[in-house]
Amino acid sequence: MHSLRGFVLALVSGLLLSGAVWAAEGSVTISAPQEGARLDAMAENRISYAVEPGPRGDHVHLYVDGAEVAVLRRLKGSYPLPTLAAGARDVCVKVVNKGHTPIGVERCVKVMVD
Amino acid sequence: MDLQNLAYALTQVAHNFGAAAVVAAPLFARWPLRADAAVRHRLAWLVLAGWVVQGMSGAGFGAISYAYYGAFPDIHGIAVAALLLKMACAAGGVVLAALMLRWGARWSDDAHHCAWGGLLLLGATALTAAAFLRWFS
Repeated sequence: MHSLRGFVLALVSGLLLSGAVWAAEGSVTISAPQEGARLDAMAENRISYAVEPGPRGDHVHLYVDGAEVAVLRRLKGSYPLPTLAAGARDVCVKVVNKGHTPIGVERCVKVMVD
Repeated sequence: MDLQNLAYALTQVAHNFGAAAVVAAPLFARWPLRADAAVRHRLAWLVLAGWVVQGMSGAGFGAISYAYYGAFPDIHGIAVAALLLKMACAAGGVVLAALMLRWGARWSDDAHHCAWGGLLLLGATALTAAAFLRWFS
């Protein structure tokens, strides 16, 4: 009984620790729009990005103001943003795993839409 | 061995076998010949177990994600609709299989045939929804 409890504790600890270590790897770069950029609401605005998914990552989700707007399966490229309402907007790229769970590797830029 | 991938993989194994059970058992109960009462009763247990496994393993995917990343899978749009459809199928499958096990002995052959058709439809629908959940996420 005692050894079983120890085994379970070790297993859970291992699961959590391995997750914490892996989650820290990978990177996202957003080359456009840049932080603080002003965008024309009537123009076609694109996001340019490059992702190093790390060992846990699989593909990328794109968010505007916290709402998912696209699933990007290319790890590098550009993608048209949806029509943005005027005002301050947060645009984020998050790496997710095969199960579509964000793994903590992400980059966001704040833009102003006129 | 990577424990996170192992956890996802073992959960996927259970999910896959659950999916096989909820489609294959109703199919076998109806085709190529209508199964007799004893076989139907065993198949109903198999279907019930299959749907329970489907539900638990589906929740397991979310639980593993939450354990590792503090977040559930991030899905939207068609994927959410597909997930809700799968959950509805699982709930319907559990209820129908349980009804069959509890009161099926009093049902006519035609009623059984109809119920197994319903279970087959639920299984096939869930399997189809799974594909949309997978690729629209």
